[in-house]
Amino acid sequence: MSNIDRRTLVKGSLAAMMAGAAFSRAALAQSSEPILLGVSGPLTGPNAQYGTQWKQGFDLALDEIQAAGGINGRKLAYSFEDSQSDPRQSVAIAQKLVSDPRIVMELGDFSSPASMAASPIYQRGGLVQFGFTNSHPDFTKGGDFMWSTSVSQADEQPLLAAYAVKRLGLKKLAVLHLNTDWGRTSRDYFVKAAKEHGAEIAVTEGYIAEERDFRSTLVRVRDANPDGLILISYYSDGALIARQARQVGLKQVICAASSVYSPKFLELGGEAVEDVHVGTRYFPEDPRPEVQTFIAGFKKKYNGVEPDAFNAYAYDAMNMAAAVVKIGGTDRRAIRDAFTKVKDVSSVIFGKATFDVESRRVKGAMNAELVVRKGQFALWDGKPT
Amino acid sequence: MSSWLDYTINGLIVGNVYALVAVGLALIFGVSRLINFAQGSIYLVGAYIGWVAVVQLHTPLPLTIIVVAVAAALVGLIIERFGLRPLQNSVRIAPLLATIGISFVLDQLVMLTFSPNPRALPSQLPDIRFQIGGGTIGPLDLLIAGVGLTSALLLFVFLRYSKLGWAVRATAQDRDAAMQMGVDVNRVNQAVFGIAAALGGVSGLLVGMYYNQIDTAMSLQATLKGVVAEVVGGAGNVPGAVIGSLLLGLVESYGVAVFGTSYRNLFAFLLLVVVLVLRPNGLFASARQAPPEPLTGTFIAPSRPVRIPRWALLIATAVFAILPLLPVSFYVLQTLINAWLLGMLALSLTLVAGTIGQVSLGHAALLAIGAYTSALLSLTFAVPVGLAIIGGGLMSAALGTALISPSFRLRGHYVSIATLAIGEIVSLVILNWESVTRGPIGISGIPPLSLFGYELVSPISIYWFSFIVMVVLALLQGRLLGSHLGRSFRAIRDDDIAARAYGLSLNRYKSLAFIFGGFAAGVSGGIAAHLYSYINHETFNTQQSILALTVVILGGLGNVVGAILGAVALVGLPEVFRIAAEYRILIYGIVLLLLVRFRPQGLLGTM
Repeated sequence: MSNIDRRTLVKGSLAAMMAGAAFSRAALAQSSEPILLGVSGPLTGPNAQYGTQWKQGFDLALDEIQAAGGINGRKLAYSFEDSQSDPRQSVAIAQKLVSDPRIVMELGDFSSPASMAASPIYQRGGLVQFGFTNSHPDFTKGGDFMWSTSVSQADEQPLLAAYAVKRLGLKKLAVLHLNTDWGRTSRDYFVKAAKEHGAEIAVTEGYIAEERDFRSTLVRVRDANPDGLILISYYSDGALIARQARQVGLKQVICAASSVYSPKFLELGGEAVEDVHVGTRYFPEDPRPEVQTFIAGFKKKYNGVEPDAFNAYAYDAMNMAAAVVKIGGTDRRAIRDAFTKVKDVSSVIFGKATFDVESRRVKGAMNAELVVRKGQFALWDGKPT
Repeated sequence: MSSWLDYTINGLIVGNVYALVAVGLALIFGVSRLINFAQGSIYLVGAYIGWVAVVQLHTPLPLTIIVVAVAAALVGLIIERFGLRPLQNSVRIAPLLATIGISFVLDQLVMLTFSPNPRALPSQLPDIRFQIGGGTIGPLDLLIAGVGLTSALLLFVFLRYSKLGWAVRATAQDRDAAMQMGVDVNRVNQAVFGIAAALGGVSGLLVGMYYNQIDTAMSLQATLKGVVAEVVGGAGNVPGAVIGSLLLGLVESYGVAVFGTSYRNLFAFLLLVVVLVLRPNGLFASARQAPPEPLTGTFIAPSRPVRIPRWALLIATAVFAILPLLPVSFYVLQTLINAWLLGMLALSLTLVAGTIGQVSLGHAALLAIGAYTSALLSLTFAVPVGLAIIGGGLMSAALGTALISPSFRLRGHYVSIATLAIGEIVSLVILNWESVTRGPIGISGIPPLSLFGYELVSPISIYWFSFIVMVVLALLQGRLLGSHLGRSFRAIRDDDIAARAYGLSLNRYKSLAFIFGGFAAGVSGGIAAHLYSYINHETFNTQQSILALTVVILGGLGNVVGAILGAVALVGLPEVFRIAAEYRILIYGIVLLLLVRFRPQGLLGTM
């Protein structure tokens, strides 16, 4: 086996040498070595769960990409480097990936401190840093090698505000948000949009990621007398807040950002998340073919488990990477340029994703207005809860 | 106002939850004068064993509690027998490091077995709510309060009236004397660890059920809050731990009430510092009680440092200096840059912890102060980067010393806990002081390193820059240790009463050590800020403080070369184990434990 591999490799490189630079791409296409992407993300440490979800999304996308014949006949693969979302480790990983000639581009990292600390190294090293969960407004300002498919909060939050204020008719809102760069940026966009729709913001409360007890926060919320609670949370803290809100007797409508969209939210929240409204980018019964392929494929691969938002981001990111590499080949600069050329890549989150070359982000995320009914996410039927 | 009643009740409910962990910590501290950093991990293990019992085996609640208690007690016994007992006669600080290593290993084992995804741990009690004030409490609140109070009461009675309890207290007061009186000290320790671990496990189970959620990140938070509560109540005092927990819960709740949610932990840690400064033995320490720490320096026992010949050091410096000229990858250079930056931090910590005996657990705060100062100076006031970094160092030296000075009167573990709290306070102030620090959004676009107008952007130039800065700091520190100042520092560490009797002003020397140490740490943070180009309140976190302490203990307290060697080892090992993917932190924890086991005085020994 390995003999044959080596022989083809030798043949490939000999051919490349003989044919010269002009034909190098054809020679590479013959090579049996997979095209390698570097991933920098948390597999251990406090954010390990998100790295695990990335892997699930990546692996599913890769199965489909390989089944469709790979990239011009070559397989696509990734090498996952655990950063623990720690900037010290992500910068070392960045150097490692930049100096590894096999790596054609990089995906990640998860948190802003880890990702943006590594950006200067990727920028100077001329390797694309494709941050697909990096919503920090300054992420893509790190240089022309920084690209992101993370849904811009300037896009997402007005959709949520429209759902809460115009569709659900909430007039006086309490906003609870994760006090991170993401939560803070989201809150600001949400508050702005909600005010434009004519709602009043009764109170906003930021909490740190490790917080588990929200009872006292909820007393503040109660005293502000809102008619709706907005959660800018991840699924685990979102579920905690919903549970405790119901336990302390708050009966207001709860409306949450798409990041709670996960089967874990239902599992952790139990009865308390019944009737919680969630603005998401896709939903299980969405007739779009890319959504149906994604959900069916995911359930098949992972024993019937429903995918969540982070799985979808990773799945989309890998498909985007494949599309970009198809155009750009294996040259790092050509790959960067390919980001400007790639068009209408089918995507769970965006439908058809095309980069805005100016901001190096994708605009126009899809919108679905869901509500939890009988322990399942369902499309909201317009009935008040 | 009715809201205040609600805030009070909420505070008591949360305090109730903290009490479960605090009681276990207090018990262990009471006997072995050890902050058991693995207590949170036992809590985690208990929660997951509980999950297996409830979700997979469908055991009824009483049986679940028994299963969890027994299994957790077993884990505690194993930790005591294989992790801590071999370190009994070594340096007092070695067991502390061992518990850190054990907590790495336990957390990783749980993560690898159960995956890091959070899980629901359904409560097995009926869902009845009782209306109290504006809110409600459920049966689980009552059960948690019951378990907390009953265990505290039982422990109190056990310690006061039973024979084994007397033995425990005798061991706590004077281990050698107890042994001479025929107390089987090992059995006492075993009993204590078994009980504390059982409590820890059950608390993990109950808290998991309470929030219907367990995940692998819960262990560090549990330890932190437990330690705060325990120390507020008086370290080693079991009923005090319960009251301390309730007080902590109340202060947090009122903090939220008055200032808002993002200030919650700020109040928890401020409470701790205030209590430590006003009543160093905790709120409920009796006046007659013997001081909880030994009067003389057995906390950091001197050992014979390994003598490294001067030529060997020169050769090593030369090799590292010319390394970028050799064919090594940028990855290796970047890893070593990280090591040099951590080395500067370790130099700082080894001075304050090793040489003068103030074991700090909040050293990342100095990095953060240096980093923010340097970043803001260069961004807002366009100060050249080289000067901005020095500014960061000076600010760290000044602010760090000012912040720590109220706790100069503390000894031993209490210094560690006070500095831990100060570290958290600095991080929370950075998060909340938005007009200056830009809060959670952080500071982006920090200019790259530059010197005299030349940008240092290639890994080679950054490598040389950080290496030279570290070597200069190390040489300065070496000179300092050899001077009369260094001798005075060590005198204070080894016997502060004798030092005072000799006419040394403790506070002045402690300040000097923190000024020098703060500068080194601030410079390290400043360089990091310009290297990363983006920092926020999470960049320099508690894990970094713990890592720095690990480096220093591993290298040998007070040992300059040891600090640098430790930094290279602890930055390098996780990178070397990268090939093991998810298993690398587990392997790292095991290696750490083995190092502590066989070199408890550190690789190069205490100076």
